[in-house]
Amino acid sequence: MTSIHVPSPIIQVRNLGKYYGNFDPAMIDRTGPEHGTARDHVTASIVAAWGVNFDVAAGEALGIVGESGSGKSTVLRCIAGDVAASTGDVRLAPFEDGNVNILDLDPSARRQLRINTLSVVYQDPAEGLALGVTAGGNIADPLTAAGWRNFGAIRDRARELLARTEVPLDRMDDIVRNFSGGMRQRVQIARALANKPPILLLDEPTTGLDASVASGVLDLIRQLLEELQVAAIVVSHDFGVIEMLTERCLVMQHGRVVEDALTDQLLEDPHHPYSQKLVAAART
Amino acid sequence: MGYAAARGGLNAILTAENLVRRLRDLDPSERIELDQFTGRLRLLVDRVMGESGLWAPELAAMALRQGEGDLIEAVHLLRAYKSTLGRLDTAIPVHANDIQLVRRVVPAFREPGGPQILGRSTDYTARMLTTTDRDIVDASDSTTTLDTALKTRPSNSRMSDVLRDMDLLVDRRRTDDPEPFDITRTPAKPPAPRSALLSSMARAETGALVNQWYRNILGPDGYLHEVTLGEVRHGKLPINVRHPMTGGSVNIGSFRATEVEAIEDLNGSEEDRTRFDVGYGFCFGHNERKAIAMANLDIACYRDGAKSGLEQSLLMTTDGLDSAGFLEHLKLPHYVTFRSMVERKVAVRRVADGKN
Amino acid sequence: MGRTEMTLEATVNSSPTTIAELVGHRTTETFALLDEESKREIRRALLQAVCIPGYQVPFGSREMPVARGWGSGGLQVTLACVGADDAVKVIDQGDDEGVNAVNLRRLVTMSTGIDETTEVDEATLIQSRHRIPEDDMNENHILILQVPVPEPLRGIERDIRELARMHAEADYSRMWVSLYEDKVRNGVITQSTGYPCLVASRYIVATTPIPRWDIPRLHQSKFLTLFGAGREKRVYAIPPYTDVEPLTFEDVPFEVESADGATCRLCGSSDSFLVEMPGKQESWSCSDTAWCRRQRNT
Repeated sequence: MTSIHVPSPIIQVRNLGKYYGNFDPAMIDRTGPEHGTARDHVTASIVAAWGVNFDVAAGEALGIVGESGSGKSTVLRCIAGDVAASTGDVRLAPFEDGNVNILDLDPSARRQLRINTLSVVYQDPAEGLALGVTAGGNIADPLTAAGWRNFGAIRDRARELLARTEVPLDRMDDIVRNFSGGMRQRVQIARALANKPPILLLDEPTTGLDASVASGVLDLIRQLLEELQVAAIVVSHDFGVIEMLTERCLVMQHGRVVEDALTDQLLEDPHHPYSQKLVAAART
Repeated sequence: MGYAAARGGLNAILTAENLVRRLRDLDPSERIELDQFTGRLRLLVDRVMGESGLWAPELAAMALRQGEGDLIEAVHLLRAYKSTLGRLDTAIPVHANDIQLVRRVVPAFREPGGPQILGRSTDYTARMLTTTDRDIVDASDSTTTLDTALKTRPSNSRMSDVLRDMDLLVDRRRTDDPEPFDITRTPAKPPAPRSALLSSMARAETGALVNQWYRNILGPDGYLHEVTLGEVRHGKLPINVRHPMTGGSVNIGSFRATEVEAIEDLNGSEEDRTRFDVGYGFCFGHNERKAIAMANLDIACYRDGAKSGLEQSLLMTTDGLDSAGFLEHLKLPHYVTFRSMVERKVAVRRVADGKN
Repeated sequence: MGRTEMTLEATVNSSPTTIAELVGHRTTETFALLDEESKREIRRALLQAVCIPGYQVPFGSREMPVARGWGSGGLQVTLACVGADDAVKVIDQGDDEGVNAVNLRRLVTMSTGIDETTEVDEATLIQSRHRIPEDDMNENHILILQVPVPEPLRGIERDIRELARMHAEADYSRMWVSLYEDKVRNGVITQSTGYPCLVASRYIVATTPIPRWDIPRLHQSKFLTLFGAGREKRVYAIPPYTDVEPLTFEDVPFEVESADGATCRLCGSSDSFLVEMPGKQESWSCSDTAWCRRQRNT
């Protein structure tokens, strides 16, 4: 098993946990993979994620794989600030030199992080984009939030990003609602990259797209991850995505990490029975 | 003539005022006396007082007469009058059970504890326009004198208490006793305490509340479902104040009010499916339509938990003076703003024509 | 709940000793319509507004003898500020004789006995709807603007809680996006009146709707501007010598209204805000009637 800790990480996550409902310390031992559920039968609380630890280095992409309900998206959303974590310690090297647990920040400070430290690409473009706004306007949003006030410069930057994400420039001034799913996803990626964030979180970025469209988007993400040297977390139920984008990955089941390994090793030789099941399913 | 830019704006106004006065005051018919409003148009007077948030039947009658029967106008006159008055004192809280009932309807039970009093109501009267004077009651007719006297029966067996005794009611009584939110001194906006919501609705325009209720039944919102009414009451409550010298409680009058308890079936995933909850409605005068809408919207708003815009709608869009005033302000001159808009149309067109 | 608020028709300044006396006393003739307690309350809100330029201060807006939406907020501000030595000018669309201006002015003068004037240099309080007078104003003037919609962000957000958050965090990027979109779609920024401005580099305000022509007058003005929104129960302020920047991109100049070659048919001015009669030649005239009259007489 490889170490989940890396030297000088960009993202450092320790004991991250999230539950829904009332807390009872004993419910932690009554839930998880051994019990086959994240739902505590005594309190009816859900332990959506618990005891999650990992580091991500610069230029590295970490995968989190599991079925729906495994807690992988919960982990990502707790880091992004979309969901309030119940417990844990998350530090980002680009923010206050990693001296602050971002989970302690107030909602306002969490939103500030999203402007130029940390970007998220969601499975559903409607979450990451204003559909009634043009592609360029969606990119103008994070730029103006970061203080850009020059129309021409905003246009140039939007053009550059859309070109890089292979959105036809003649669509730049169309509202995103009129775009196809794959195109929306490319705009979402362009927007996420607007302020060159050192950290990128991708939540099922190609799920729901047609296979051929998905592979194009996936290809783009892979190139961008190589090119931009960001620290990335990729959440997916699909080992194909994890294999293509990540070097290391965590396998989650019922709210817990059951295995972490180098991605290619995991695919070759999964240890945990659940990982074996997932890999087997991906190989058929 | 004489509307906006023309000179002599004052003359135009005075002429308009004169026309109103002449046509109203010099109408050949008998002038309507105030006691005719309070005696014969009591529901209208009650509505004006309710929407004004001021219990003053005679003043309400004056306002209605001056406003030629326009409800919003009468409410405006009454509220503006109230603004000129200092606030002397706050009445001592009374318990709603101190009500002297003249009407009580309990749809939820066939035989509720306490009386069912149909009282003065046309609920079950065929709505046939009476075109002759034949139906006017003769004072000697003894069958019509029975229920007009005020009932003074004990009325403490309200349905929410009955349900609580049956352990069928979720308990959200609070132990502290916070001062009620004063919507006349602090603007109510979300998130607001329940007292702000209730006072906003108590003073709301009746039609606005009925519409809020109905659009949630049949319109696009759907944040509400129909309740079962536990109590619909109309009666008289005392007004007591502390004597400025002795500090003792002194009764200085009374007012009539309509009170409603609306029993809500809880069926949400996070809610207690084994119990009911209750919404509350209360307003000045006899206005069951408003109190029922209010009670149902109160519980709907609580259950909604600020997830939708219902709270904002109730707090900020149901006041009759706010909505009517703003709507009617469209009649004011807008030629400066319109000029600016025209200028932008030309500017856009100039760009489109490539002249820029 | 269960507590019944009653307003009793009496005054506080006498000292009644019986309930009958308490109730029997009634005074409706107060200086400037509102009772003193209400005026103090409004002044406190105004002081807060001056201390936090551009911040919308909630206040217990009273029902006035004019309808909400008809200058009830401006009127309350005027009445809260007015003293016996003041002189008031009231304009609507720039015109002292506009019907609503006349109505508001007579309410102020009737309830206070103060002087009214159409001349800026004689006035101390200038209440206005939709315009700033063309004349220079100075430290002796308070400009009171009637505000129909005080929330500059309402066009992009309806939820009151979210709006409060956006102002608190100065999270105005969506406002910038709306300007970006406007410029992309239309080639110009089409916001006509009520142009959003950043006050003291902090809060975005709705500029009543005055035309863009008037916006530069607010920047580093010598006079105090008070904004009263009666229906929405907010006041806000631009203190003297405060930065007021219309929101625009560095490379997209802020444009005021213009009409090519137009001059006032009465005074010949081309450097005032002009309004037009539809479909006529030589149809322009100054919106500020007092200013126009003086141009003709000098």
